[in-house]
Amino acid sequence: MVSGVGVVSAWGWGVAPFRSAVAQGGSAIGPFTRFEHANYPTHVAAQVPNRAIRPRRSRCARGLTHADRFAVAAADEALAAAGLPAVDTDRRTGVFFGGSTGGMFECEEFYRRWRRRCLDRAPRHLLAAQPVSRPAEAVARSLRVSGPVETVSSACASAALAIGVALEALRAGEVQLALAGGSDSLCRITFGGFNTLRAIDERPCRPFRADRAGMSLGEGSAVLVLESLESARGRGARPLVELCGAGASADAHHMTAPDPGGNGASLAIRRALRDAAREPGDVDLINAHGTGTPLNDIAEYRALERVFGDRAREIPLAVTKGSVGHLLGGAGAIEAAATVHALLEQRLQPVPGQGPVEPRAPVQLPREAVPAELEVALSLNLGFGGCNAALVFARWSEP
Amino acid sequence: MSAEASVVVTGLGTVSAAGVARPALEAALRHGEPRSTPIDRSTGHHAPQAACTAALVGDLDLRPFIPPLEARRMSPASRYAVVAARTALDDAGLDVRDESDAGIVVVVASAFGPAAFSQRLLDQILDEGPTVASPSLFTECVANAPAARVALACRATGPNLTIVQGEAGPLRAVAHGAAEVAAGGCWLALVGATEELTPLLHAILDRFRALARPRGEAAERARPFDRRRDGVLAAEGATLLALEAEAAARRRGAGILARVRGGWSAFDASAPASGWGRGEERLAGELVKGLERHGLAPADVDRIVSGASGSRAGDRLEALVLRRAWGARRLPPILAPKATTGEYGGAFLGAAVLALAGTGWGPTAGFEETDPELEVRPHDGSPLEPARRVLVSGLAAGGAASWLILERP
Repeated sequence: MVSGVGVVSAWGWGVAPFRSAVAQGGSAIGPFTRFEHANYPTHVAAQVPNRAIRPRRSRCARGLTHADRFAVAAADEALAAAGLPAVDTDRRTGVFFGGSTGGMFECEEFYRRWRRRCLDRAPRHLLAAQPVSRPAEAVARSLRVSGPVETVSSACASAALAIGVALEALRAGEVQLALAGGSDSLCRITFGGFNTLRAIDERPCRPFRADRAGMSLGEGSAVLVLESLESARGRGARPLVELCGAGASADAHHMTAPDPGGNGASLAIRRALRDAAREPGDVDLINAHGTGTPLNDIAEYRALERVFGDRAREIPLAVTKGSVGHLLGGAGAIEAAATVHALLEQRLQPVPGQGPVEPRAPVQLPREAVPAELEVALSLNLGFGGCNAALVFARWSEP
Repeated sequence: MSAEASVVVTGLGTVSAAGVARPALEAALRHGEPRSTPIDRSTGHHAPQAACTAALVGDLDLRPFIPPLEARRMSPASRYAVVAARTALDDAGLDVRDESDAGIVVVVASAFGPAAFSQRLLDQILDEGPTVASPSLFTECVANAPAARVALACRATGPNLTIVQGEAGPLRAVAHGAAEVAAGGCWLALVGATEELTPLLHAILDRFRALARPRGEAAERARPFDRRRDGVLAAEGATLLALEAEAAARRRGAGILARVRGGWSAFDASAPASGWGRGEERLAGELVKGLERHGLAPADVDRIVSGASGSRAGDRLEALVLRRAWGARRLPPILAPKATTGEYGGAFLGAAVLALAGTGWGPTAGFEETDPELEVRPHDGSPLEPARRVLVSGLAAGGAASWLILERP
């Protein structure tokens, strides 16, 4: 069960602004200031507004990176939303995160100073930011978690895979409560790297539109509190939605290009549906990976077509990246959060952007936040290197 | 665990300073001494008093395992992972390269990811501007590039996971792969770790005082559990294990190196972001509870393969966790293979498997004097009874802890 959600996004610190913006089809992608980018070919991203945060333990505040701070804030909010003011030491708790850049931005700052031979002025805390495992560990340290703490770094599928790992840990009895999600921040190496691949649009991304020209990077974090139904009921909490299943696969096709036939991605979807004991016909909403790059969106549609047949044209899509950009390692988490909210609100999420849909990927992109009966939703993430992950969520209503 | 759910190690593939494939690692462990070589300090990253050596793969000829054309665009970490995967499959007597197979899962751990390509890309972005940076460098910068390369090399379309959890990551990789096989979702798991070491990364580790440094005329060396230990020997390479369901492995007559009884992990919230904490009591409790979840008690373990590496604080925590977990009971023989293999690159994981496979072990290199605070003496090279059940322990800087139980099949 998902019993709490926390979000930090370009819309602000907290679920409320994110939820409201996604429900209205808003886009937070625009000019950004995280680093100087005048000499880059593109100039838009979705940056989290600056804000100081205060971790629960003051000594944990030293040297936190942007990604750490996003993660700590999102975890705090998710716990509060779940009615847990603190991690209960009687309840074995784990932290399962996905990330791909972690504290790379701070590490770049260190490296820039190091290269200028200002070794004494290159603070160690910037360098210590490098491990991608840092945000999850910052959360665990702040909340005094003593159970498993794990970080999956499988590019854009990282957080969805981490949520799947958390689900397995709950099922296996390794933990009774899991904080699962992801966190990443904007940095030069990914902004520069995706620009070298010509994968970034000069304008805010327009996934699945005919005139799409690439992705928009974003930053932030989302955390889900996961626990069994018995656990939630035992403490008088009301579950938000059910996380029913997870599936993963690899394309084994190419390091950057997706399998044009969608074979690998469809395998992940099938595995997730099987794990959730659901059929393709049960799915009412798909939160697509939808990067907005010309090849990826078509390959993703092929994968949907393989699993859902003609229904791939009819099932409404949610495309969170159009609103908050691509959170890379954290994408699976914030898209899972958007999926949870769609099921809670029983409402479609309008996809930002206008213009005709790509004819080779004729998906259903909602234009308005119309009410809809949504029982089962799929969230899909497809990463660099051909890593695919799918999650299946279901509406929860007390019997 | 039922016979169908039981998971075994049928192959061990490795590339490290010791060489390529299992016999090279076995020979290194028998010998005991590390194969360290000078690190390139011409880059100017190192302080004058910094560590000078590392256990490097160096110019080992990897062409028999990975043709130059295939290796051309790969980072060292990816190359090592592919070589380890291929030698693991050879060791297991498996050939899976012809058709894509959704029954193969790949789980690879890395502490730092592809460092060389990331540095080169960042240099290009900062020096020449992002418009002229090489896209092929970026492709290999992502932490999961090695796991993706292994999937491509083996046509593995099953789940593909990269774990980044410092020194605890390799044991988690094994646990995840074993769980996938035990659940029946996959028939083969390729699990382990890969790491590459650049002069910059070496200098950075030294700046954190993580590395053993030379002392006067004496060469630097890792001294696990020794009173005078002052840091680790940094290493690179990759080690991957082939895991299969025991019943299936026996049906095809595979040689079985070890059975994976189970793995679990915990966190020491007292640890600083880049060091070890003092949460020995809580971690010892987690260790014992984990053993109990697998139907075991400390007395059921007759060998410990410790992740002790010569780190001042890390070895202290490791020793105190083990001593508290065992309480008044005598600790079983403790092997500290990182004295030989160095830290990072997964050879430690291979050593843990070989502890069950009957490999003879030399004395713990660098250990001379017991630390009175730790009161732990690692293996002295005397003959050991073959182990029946091994506890593998990996405590990471930053707080993560991971354990694994391997058994003789």
